[in-house]
This record gives sequence, C-alpha cells and structure tokens, in this order.
Amino acid sequence: MIEFDGVVVEYGRGPRATRAVDGIDLVVEEGESLALIGPSGCGKTTLLFAVAGLYKTTEGSIEIDGESVRGPRREIALILQDAGLLPWKTVWGNANLSLRLHGEYPRRTAEAVLDELGLAEAKGRFPAELSEGMKRRVGVARALSTSPSVMLMDEPLASLDTLTKERIQDLFLRLWTRHRFSLILVTHDIEEAAFLGQRIAVLTERPARIKSIVANPAMGDAEYRETPEFLNTVKRLREAMEQGATR
Amino acid sequence: MRMGRFRPRVPERLQHPGPLRYLLMYALSAIVLLGLWWAASALVKELKGGREFLPNPIKAIGEMVRLARLWFPNFLISAWRLVLAILIAFSLGYPLGLLIGRERRLDELISPMIYIVYPIPQVAFILVLFLIFGIGNPVKVAIVALALFFQILISARGAAKNIEDTHVTSVLSAGASRWQVYWHVILPATLPSILTSLRVSIGLGMAFLYIAETYGTFDPRRGGLGAFIRANSYSAGQAFAGILAMALLGLILYVAIDLIERLLCRWKYTGRRSS
Repeated sequence: MIEFDGVVVEYGRGPRATRAVDGIDLVVEEGESLALIGPSGCGKTTLLFAVAGLYKTTEGSIEIDGESVRGPRREIALILQDAGLLPWKTVWGNANLSLRLHGEYPRRTAEAVLDELGLAEAKGRFPAELSEGMKRRVGVARALSTSPSVMLMDEPLASLDTLTKERIQDLFLRLWTRHRFSLILVTHDIEEAAFLGQRIAVLTERPARIKSIVANPAMGDAEYRETPEFLNTVKRLREAMEQGATR
Repeated sequence: MRMGRFRPRVPERLQHPGPLRYLLMYALSAIVLLGLWWAASALVKELKGGREFLPNPIKAIGEMVRLARLWFPNFLISAWRLVLAILIAFSLGYPLGLLIGRERRLDELISPMIYIVYPIPQVAFILVLFLIFGIGNPVKVAIVALALFFQILISARGAAKNIEDTHVTSVLSAGASRWQVYWHVILPATLPSILTSLRVSIGLGMAFLYIAETYGTFDPRRGGLGAFIRANSYSAGQAFAGILAMALLGLILYVAIDLIERLLCRWKYTGRRSS
C-alpha cells in the first residue's frame, strides 16, 4: 500500500523555491493500478520521483507498506521515458543492472524474465541495435528482474508509434495481471490512462494538486479498448482535464 | 519508425570501416602524402638552384632504412617515454577530471586553480623541472605528462558535466551508490571523448617530448629521437630519418588508441538500426 499524506515537493529553498507538487493525499492499495494524468510540466514526474526516493518531500510523507520512503528501494522499480537504457551495456547488461547494483546475480531469474519478454535472442545486442519497442521491453525486463512490489512508470511509451504503443500497453497489462505489483503510471496520454488505470487521478497545472479521481473498474483486458465503457472513461477524463484549464 | 526523411543516410561501412578498408585508407593517404612530399622536394630544389634541402621521399626512406641501426634505439627510448607520460597523465587526469566534473564543491575549489595554471605554457616550467629532476629520463617524462595531464583533465571534466541525466537517474533509481554511478555510467559515458582527446594530445605530447629531448642531452645514441634529429640537423638525410621515425611513432600510437577504443567502446561500433 502506498500512502501519500499531504505531500509537497519544492525545488530550491527560501523565497526562490518553486512548488512542483502541492498537497497530495492519496492511497494506492496493494496490487492496484493508478494512472496520474495531467498537462505537461505539471509536476507529475516530480511526484513519481518522490515515490521512487529520488526526490525528498518538502512537507508531508509518502509511506510504502507503513515505511516512509527515504531513498531508492529494491522493491520499487522505476521505468523511465525512453526506457533509460545505458547505451554501453548489452540487453543482458541492462536487464541485469538492478540485480548487479544490489550485489545479486541470479542468472535463472534474469533468463526467465528475458524469455517472458521475448528478448532471449537479443541478449548480446546493444540498445542502438534494437527497435524502439524492444528497448521498452528491455526497460521492463530490468524493472521486473528484482520482482518489485511497486512499479512506477514515467511516460514509458511517449514517442512511440500507435501500434507499438498499444502492443506494449497490452504487455504492461499482462504483466500487471500476472505479477500483481502496485502500479503508478504517469502519462499525458488520455487513452493510455484509461486503458491501464483502475483509477485515474487528474492533476492540475503546476503546482500539481489532485483535481479529480475517475474510477475505471471495467479495465483489465486487451479488448477493453473496443468497449463503450472505455470511450466513456476517455470522455470523462477529457472533460475533467479541460475543466478550469488555462491552456 | 523512420526518423525523418531528410536525415542524410551514411552507409554503415563508411561510418565504421572494417579492418581491410581501414588499411586501404591509410595506404591511400600515405601515397597522397608521398606525392605531395615529392612535389615539395622538387619545388625546393628548383627554387634553391639545384641544392637538395628537402630530400625526396624515396631518398629519405632509403636513408631511414640504411640508418635504422642509429635511430631505432632512440625510437624505443622516445616511445617508452611518451607511453609512460601518457599513462601517468591518463591515470591522474581522468579520475580527477571526472570527480571535479561531477562533484560541485570540488569543482568550485579546484577549477579556478586549473584555469589559472593551464594557460601558462608548460614549457615555461621546463627549467624548474630540470632543476628538480635533473637532465635524465624523469624530467622528459614529467614535461610531457604535465602537458597531457591538463588536456585530459579538462576534457574529462567537460565530458563528465555533459552526461545525460536520464542515465544517472536510471541507475540511481535502481539503487546505485555514488561509486556505482561512476562505474556504470560516468566512466563508460566519458571514455570515447577521453580517447579522442588522448588522440589529439599525441601531437602535443610529441612536440613536448621533442623539446625536452633537445634540451640537455647531447648523446645522439641514447637521447631519444629529439636528440637524434638535433644532433644530425646538418645532414638532411639523417635528420629526415629521425623525423620519419617520429611520424611512425605517432602513427603507431594513433592506431593503438583506435584499437583500444574498438575494444572498450564496442557499443559505438555496432550497426545502428535505422528503424
């Protein structure tokens, strides 16, 4: 369970401090998927990085399973925009990076994850030799390698073409169903939020506050995209985002 | 996904030539250089009324082969001095440059000192160094190492500052310690540009070595190529044998750094996907 209690994040100090996140109260249940959606630059990535332990909260607290977040943890995985792969490491090296950083090297787990994602053949290749879709899958492999209980995704599919994007969204859904980690997905793509979020928190412009929370209980399989409920959720999200927007 | 229709497409084999092509390119360049040399030599001869101040390439290379017994020991001496100086400069300048590039406090403390000292030509220190080290090997290695140290330090600092944030965030979020960030990101990310700066520094290093070797050594058998060239400066053929030997030394080092880069930065030499 992830609990946000009055979370404020500011950059800088004193009178010149900029507030990026302003008072977030929220609970994400174990195994739940939550999408955070908001305009570009609203502070949603900042909020996510605070959960990952990369930023400190200025006020309030974030607790995961009752323990407050003070830095990166093994059970929290973060998938970055463009997958965050290191160009000088092979697929194998990138996928195993988290394990190596923790001083572990269970070869079998890593092999199994690469197999699951259809990357076994590409083990020895460098990121520059991969298609965009494969790169994202390597990023996912790295995140899954430590069997995390919390998965954080920061616009993981930005800049992908529609078909590749949908294929990887299907993959995310499958993995979430199978591994049941708690998922927080940051995105500015309304359809992505509606496809992957059981609940969708709509954020205001900077500094980020929660504007509304849209429930989306019907999500959960790949055909959801074709249903009227999906279109309805998309419509509600669009309305929620437009409400009071200055842009 | 194609990245923009107007991106000029460079055929892969031109981006990273294979070994055969690599040799061919060097051979071609050598032929062009020899041709230019020949023309220059003929021109000088014409202008100077038939006197041969600049020997033609065939003659010079002939001399080089004939005099191999004289210049080769000097070649070895210069080579190890230069290689040792490069190793010293690299192993001190690279880590220090990375540290001041990444650690803000250290940068604020050390960078002003570097920028005050760096513009002073290191040759200006030559007399002091001679007083400290005497006229033997150490002073020659020290002068070259000093010059290269600043080159490597400054480019390492710049390269470390330019590392993409996502790479650092990526390993930090996976739980990397500060030293793991250096090992997994900062070191590999900066290595290609440090090797490039090392390549550029070879010319500088050779110039400094030449100066150092022409100072204070008068034994043309064990003084290194600089001393050899200076001692033979009145006989064009022998001096040119020395100059060609220096060019050979430079070429060997360039090729060695190329090979090291291919070995250590393998990821830069893989075929890129255009889709």
